[in-house]
Formats: sequence, structure tokens, C-alpha cells
Amino acid sequence: MELVTFIFGEYAPRIADISRYILPFVAVLIVARCIVSMLRERYDPETWAYLYLNGNVMVPLRHWECILGRARSVDGRVDDPAVERMHACLIRTPEGAWTVYNLGKGKTYVNGEQVLPGGAPIQDADVLTLGTVSARFVDLTEQERSSLLKYRHAPGRRVRPSVTLLLLTVFQLGLLLQHLAYDAGAGLGVIMAFAVLATVQWGYFIVLRASGQRGFEPEILALFLSTVGLSVAASKTPDDMLKQIILLLAAIGLYIFMCLWIRNLDRVKSVRLYAFIAAIGMLLVTLVLAPVDNGARSWLHFGSLSIQPSELVKVLYIYAGAATLDRLFVNRNLIFYIGFSAGCVGLLALMGDFGTALVFFVTFLVISFMRSGSFATVFLAVAGAVLGVLLVVTVKPHVVARFETWGHVWDDVDWRGYQQSRALSAAASGGFFGHGAGNGWFIGIIAAETDLVFAVLCEELGLITALCCIASLLALAGFVVKNAAAGRSSYFCIAAAGAVSMMLVQLCLNVFGAMDILPFTGVTFPFVSMGGTSLLACWMLLAFVKGSDTRANASFAVVRPERFTGGAGVEDEGEPEEDYYSPGDGYYGGSSDDGYYEDPKDSYYRGGGRA
Amino acid sequence: MKKVTTRAFAVLLLVALTLACTGVFIYRLAVDGGDWATFYANQSIYSEGVLNRGSVADRNGLVLATASDEGFHYADDADIRKACLHAVGDLGGNIGTSILSMYRADFVNYSFFTGTTAEAASMKLTLDADVCAAAYNAIAGKKGTVLVYNYRTGEIICMVSTPTWDPEYGIDFDASSEAYEGAFINRALSSTFTPGSVFKLVTLAAALENIPDIWQQTFYCDGDTIIGGQRVKCSGVHGTITVEQALAHSCNCAFGEIAAQLGSALISQYAEKYGLTSSHMLNGKIPTAAGSVPAGRGEIGDAAWEGIGQYEDLINPYAFLRFIGAIANGGVCVEPTILYGESAGSTQLMDPNTAQTLSEMMGYNVQYEYGAGTYPGLEMHAKTGTAETYGGTHAWFAGFITNANAPYAFVVMAERAGGGYYVASPIANATLQKAVQKAGG
Repeated sequence: MELVTFIFGEYAPRIADISRYILPFVAVLIVARCIVSMLRERYDPETWAYLYLNGNVMVPLRHWECILGRARSVDGRVDDPAVERMHACLIRTPEGAWTVYNLGKGKTYVNGEQVLPGGAPIQDADVLTLGTVSARFVDLTEQERSSLLKYRHAPGRRVRPSVTLLLLTVFQLGLLLQHLAYDAGAGLGVIMAFAVLATVQWGYFIVLRASGQRGFEPEILALFLSTVGLSVAASKTPDDMLKQIILLLAAIGLYIFMCLWIRNLDRVKSVRLYAFIAAIGMLLVTLVLAPVDNGARSWLHFGSLSIQPSELVKVLYIYAGAATLDRLFVNRNLIFYIGFSAGCVGLLALMGDFGTALVFFVTFLVISFMRSGSFATVFLAVAGAVLGVLLVVTVKPHVVARFETWGHVWDDVDWRGYQQSRALSAAASGGFFGHGAGNGWFIGIIAAETDLVFAVLCEELGLITALCCIASLLALAGFVVKNAAAGRSSYFCIAAAGAVSMMLVQLCLNVFGAMDILPFTGVTFPFVSMGGTSLLACWMLLAFVKGSDTRANASFAVVRPERFTGGAGVEDEGEPEEDYYSPGDGYYGGSSDDGYYEDPKDSYYRGGGRA
Repeated sequence: MKKVTTRAFAVLLLVALTLACTGVFIYRLAVDGGDWATFYANQSIYSEGVLNRGSVADRNGLVLATASDEGFHYADDADIRKACLHAVGDLGGNIGTSILSMYRADFVNYSFFTGTTAEAASMKLTLDADVCAAAYNAIAGKKGTVLVYNYRTGEIICMVSTPTWDPEYGIDFDASSEAYEGAFINRALSSTFTPGSVFKLVTLAAALENIPDIWQQTFYCDGDTIIGGQRVKCSGVHGTITVEQALAHSCNCAFGEIAAQLGSALISQYAEKYGLTSSHMLNGKIPTAAGSVPAGRGEIGDAAWEGIGQYEDLINPYAFLRFIGAIANGGVCVEPTILYGESAGSTQLMDPNTAQTLSEMMGYNVQYEYGAGTYPGLEMHAKTGTAETYGGTHAWFAGFITNANAPYAFVVMAERAGGGYYVASPIANATLQKAVQKAGG
């Protein structure tokens, strides 16, 4: 407070009060800019190869994993009665080598030789025969890929990330000011924490921007949520900010590492088995070694350091659970995955961590549905889970107690409904704009900074900012769904969908558990809740989201197309940006969404019919 | 790949779930947020469990209850504190229908938009604390209630319920003792009582509309009569009388006869039509107790007892005030309000001709029976009631005055306190004298 008074003089409280009414709008702007940028920018598909049917009908192959067949839902459609609905599958390695696999009952040939169950390599100019229909396989040359790249759009031109980041910095400054003005306990530690966060985020941005990266929406949303989390930490432990900021830096570091790691799909696949083993192993170790805290064995203590291994297992679970298309057609793989998931959920249930078990289970549903597309599998899993839940509920009295309290927190406000009745009261008390960061009483309630953090957001920062936090995660989910359409490998699609599902389930259980709309299960609000392991896990999960972003130069977790074959490629960032806004720019202002297929041979794609 | 891409829409189910839950949360916050925010654990507005902000005042700005960092206090005058207790309520929330219980969010100036961050502001009620105090003094230790409202605007200027206590000193009495029986209940809103003869107004309304030759009929009273095999006793010997005289004398023989002609079911139907058997919502929020006027088993004798306000009839004073207000206001009941500046609408409760006739006959009661001099300066129209119950008679006096600046309707009920004319009527007079004086007419 002295410091703020020193800077702003007698106006300090007034400025803090005014900032309470400005920051929610800044938050809305930050989230809205990210959403607009992610959902409104053009998504130009990548093209990796072509099939020429009957000489001149061209089928572009837009992914690394493409199913060929007669069905409408395949990637390369060959509409001929002689072709099976799902006939064959073409898969590209990150290095650019293609393999063809035969699916189903039909027969597939490469240059007249039948493709055996192990698949067969296929190269440029090879003749691929599906049943009786022949097609010429054309891999893209460097020149062709370069010329296509020119027309792909990079994000960040209409909605500049630098401006969004500037708004985020304003938001951080405002929060800092409020902490200093409202909370007598806030001092140098809080200033240092916010300063380090702002420095790191600008450093990250400048380095990546200088190396040609243009997409920053997922990081900015995560940074926004982490900023809110830092504010919660500043309210809770203004004297102990060092630990929190170190954790946040570690989380961002791990995120960068994960992004770089998943650039290489072969590398990812090569250690998946270890991820399976590590996941089960960590849960087993926890189950055996962890003491019982609040009815659950979730925490391992190493001196003053406590970690929650189940949070890290979340990352491993996604990492190991996602799969490439070739594996999806082998039932054995799915059964193995179901067994692995049952193991994880079962171990969590045994640990008494009901909330995390539920998070895993819903994530399992999403991933298994994406892998199999079969509702039957999913229903089977649900039935199994219901039985499992009954088992958990009968065994664990503290879980039963929470279910009994659900919807009745006002019946027993000073015992079982103690936390939630106060959470609701604090949340309502904040109104739309909140009482100000560091100016709340609810932070003093047990678990306010973790399981009940949404009430702190509502009370101190107001309903608008709290809803912005929910919107941030919803935006990430929408982003992943949109990215899936232009995904290279199903691995990245499944991993990203799994990661955002995990975040959304946690979000729902945290927010609506605290607000007595869902049972109160005690999980964290992604990026916002205090708690080191959870924060690390969320940032690592964000890498999977980043890995699904195939927009031009958008994501450093995705290798640029021109780099695979060592070609010179076209450095998009070298272009003057005016080009994109010039009135004569026929492509940008043009009406065709498929503008870059100027090839007159492109009759198949253009007309949608056969030539 | 396209298959996997399509399946990614499964994620949107979770998005939909999140949005649905968010919608539920915002809805609940908008509806129940006031109750949540005024929960005693909210340290923004409570200091050690005591409200630290907000105030409520009467129509003239006289503070009835106020909370600040210095603590929670009520009106300065002890009589006003006791008189207004049941309307205003106490910090402990002992009176469920009070302003402090039902409108705590308004008291602390909570809104969905501002939460509890807005500056504290004073709530204003339609009550006149001085009129309430006059009523409290007039009821003089008896159990009962006094309700007065402006039948043109709906403003309740007096709502007193006894026994009461001084909230400034908390509950320092034995609540289970006889003297404090029902002290936590606002009798005006939450209780029902046997109405006795004031119910004859309902029977009369039914007769006016359903017995074509009611004005030609005469009734003979020699102190008691046998109707349908049941003996109905009268308060006096009235001889041969008209319906107008029957109301003025409150003759049980005559009204028993009229009720017998109407039949039990029709009387119940009229009680229902006039809102005497339903629960009402004062200002759309404070619930009142529903009375009951059950139809008898079809026996003529039951109808007679029902028509004179005995049998199993139970009436809520607030509901009866609405009925009286409709008579006073030409058949239209302006719904009562206790929040200053807030109109609660109006209801067409009865036929205007019926209302006019009832009004004239209630005026006749005063002119020829009760005596106009009993209510100096008041243009009084009223009906007494003395309801037989176990342990004594409830004294009722219900009616309205037509003074130019003071269009007030009232219901006074003193529990097991004696006769309507001797006990309830002086309480009404004292209260209305104060009300008229304050109204400047």
C-alpha cells in the first residue's frame, strides 16, 4: 500500500476502485480477441500428395493419414462400385515416405503387386489399384509445395497477438495495483511475481515472433488463466510468491519442451510404451506410498515438497492414449487401450481420488470414441464405469457424504455445506465487477485457492472475469475441433481432443462442484487453481493443443511443411504484410474459398463430380 | 482422417455441458443471489455475524432499523420498535415474513449486477411508525393485530401484531409462556381466526346477488331460532327486521335464515371468490396464510353457522383487508404494498353495485347502531364481529373511512379479548385518529 501511495499519492484507492470496473472489460477483450483470431481466421488445408484417377480426375490428399474408398466419409473418395467403402489407407511418415495399407475385403495393388497386411511403400508416379480402379499417385515436389505454401494464411494478421499480449499486460498491472491497494499484506513478492510473469511472456513472444511464429492464441489464453491464478496466489500467500512463480516458469518450460518433443511423430510413437508403463507405475507407487489425506491417497511428500502424481499421469495418459490411424484399425490396440484406461481409473478409485477418476473416465470416453467411432464400445465402457462408481461409492464414505450434500448445501450450512454455502455467498457478493483483487474474505476458507477457486474469482474479480476464465477453456476446445479438420495425423487430433476434454471436465467439476450444480469432487480449475503439479500438467496438456494447430507458421509444435524434404521453401514471415491488405490482392479479396487450386485439371475438387 | 475429424465433435458435447451448467449457475445467481449474499457468513456485510450495513425507514424517513460498523440498531422510540417489529423484523430472523427476513438483499442494497459492492442505501416502507405506535398503544397488551391501508394506493400504513417485544434488547422472555404465545408470528399475515360477524359481509354480498327479493324479506328474531334442527342463538331480541337492520344489529337469526336460503356451498364459493380462502403474496414475495370456509355436509344448520362466521370458518386478517378494500374502492381491490413507491396492481374482486350497497349498509351500521359520535372526525363505514371460540371471543372491527385525504381501510382483531364493539372498535378509532391526523385531514 505504501508503495502505491508513494506512486499515486492520495489517488491510489480511487485508481484501484476505477480499475475494478475496467479490468473485466480488458479480460473480455483478451478472450474475445483470442476467440476471434482462432475461430475466424482462414483455415487453409495443407496438401501432401495427389491421386490422379482416369488420368485427370485429381484427388488431393490433405492429411498424413488418408482413407481411400467409396464412402462419403473417407479422405480420398473413389466413387466406383468396384471399390470398397473403406478400401485402403495411405500413411505418410514425418520424413515424407508413404505407405499403403489394405483395409477390409478388397484387394489393393501397387504397380500390379498386391499389398500384403503389413502394407507396401508407394512413391511418386506409382500406380495404385483399388479393386479394378487404377490411379496414379503423385507426391508433391518441393516446387509444388512451395507454391502452395505461398497461399496459406498465417494467423495474427487481422487480430495481432502483440496487441492482445499488451492488453494482458494491462490486466496484470491492474491486478497488481489492486493487490497493493487492497491487501496490506501484499508487497515486493507480489510485485516481483507479476513482473516476472510479464517479462517471461514478452520474452517468449519476442523470441518466437522473431523466428517467424504467428499463432499465439492458446498460450495467451493459458497466460491469462495463469495470471488469474497468480492473483489467487497473491491473495492467499502474498508472502510466499517465489514458489508460485518458479512453478509457473517450470510449467512454461515443460510446455516448450513438450511442444518441441511432439514435433517429431516418430519420436513420439517410439516412447509411447514407456508412457503406458510410467502412468501405471506412478499410480501404483502413489497407491502404495501415499498417506491418506482427506480420505484419499493422492499426494507424495518429499520433505517440504508435495506432488500429486495423478496430475502428471494425465499427460502420460493422453500421450499414450492417442494413436495414429494405422493402429486404429487393429482391434487389439483398442482393447489394450481400454484395459489401460480401466487400470488408471481403477487405481485412482482405489486411491479414493474420485474426482480425478471421473476426469480420466470422461477423457477415456472421448478418446475411445475418437479411436473407434463406435457407440457400442462407449456404452460398454459406461456400463462398466457405473458399476465401478457404485463400488467406489459403497467403499468410500467421504464420497457418499459429498453426494448427499449435493443440492442441499443450504440445509447444513455449518457442517457439510460449510464450504459451498460460503462459496455461493462470496460468489454472489462480488457482483459483475468484484470487490477487487486481494479484497475478499473467501480466500481464508479451506481449499478456497484450489477446489473452490471459482468463488474467489467471482468475489474478487467479479462475474465477468470469472466467466472469461470459463470462456478461455471453451475457446481452446472449439479451437481443437476446428483444427481437427486440417490435422495431419489422427494422433494430434486425438491427443488435442483428449487434452481439452480433460480440461473441460476438470473445469466443470471444479466450478459447478463448488457452486453446487454438480457433486463436489475436489478437482482443480485448469491453470487457475494453486497447486504445483496441476499447473505443470495443464501447461503440458496445452502442448497437445498447440500440436493440433496446422495453420501456416502458427505453431512451433508443428514442423513447417517445407522443412521435411530439406527444400528451401518459402519463408512466409519475410513477406511485407501490406501484400495481404493491398486492394489488388485478388486472392484475399476474392470470392473463392479454394482460390489456390488454380489448376484447370482440378475438376474433381472444384465441381465435386467426375470429369 | 476425416472420420477422426468428425469424431472430434464429441468435444463439443463437453462444451455444451459446460455452457448448460454455466447457464444454470447464472440463472440461480440471478434468482437466489440475494439470499446467498446475505448469508451470515458473508464477511463483506457481516461483522462477527452481525449485519454491518443497510437501513430501513418508514414513509417519513424515520429509521426503523439500521446497521453499521457501530452495530445493529432499531428505532429510537421503544413503542415504535415494538409496534413495527413484526413488519420490519429483527436481526435474528425470528419473524419469517418480515422485511429483514424477506428483503435482506434490498436492505443491504444487494443487486445481481453490483453484488454487495454498491454503497449502502436506505430502504423505505409505506408504514407510518407513529400510526403503528398508536395502534400498539391502543391494543394495550392484548394479543391481536391492527392493519390499515390506503385503499386507493395500496400503501399499508399500519401493520402491528401483538404480543411483541423490544428487538433492541433481544429475546429476554420465555417464548413458550402464555403471555408470549405466537410472538414470532405476524398475526396480520400468518394467522387465521374465526371471523364471527364480520363474515356476515360475505354472506350479505352473496345474498344481494342471489336472493332477488332480499329487500322485500323481513326476518323475525326473538333471541334464538331453530334452523335445520340446530339452535342458533342471537345477541339480542330484534323482533321483525329488514336485511339492513339485520346487518346493523348483527342479527344471527336473520343471517342464519339468509345463509340457509343461500346454502353452504354458495357461501363457500363467495368466500373463495373474494380471496378469503387463498394465500396471497404481499409485494409478490411475502406469503400470507390461506383462510378456509369449508362447505358443510349439506345440512341447513351448518349453512346457518357458516353464514354467520362460525362453524369451521377461518379468516386471515390480510385477506379480509383486501375484501374490505374492494368494498371501499367500488369493487376493485388495489393490492396492498409495504414497499414505498412500489405499486402491486389491482384486482376486480366484486361487482361494483354489490360494493356500493355493502358500503352504504356499513355506513348505516355506524349511523344507527355504533353511533357516529363514537368516531369523531371519521367518516366511518364498518362492521363489528365477536367470534365464539374456545377460551373467549375474538373481537373484530373491520371497515373503512371515506375522509378526503385519508382513504383508509382497516381490520382490527383482538384475540379472545371480548366483543367487537367494545374492544376492537376503540382500537380502530385510536389508530385511525392518528392516521387521519398524520394525513393532514
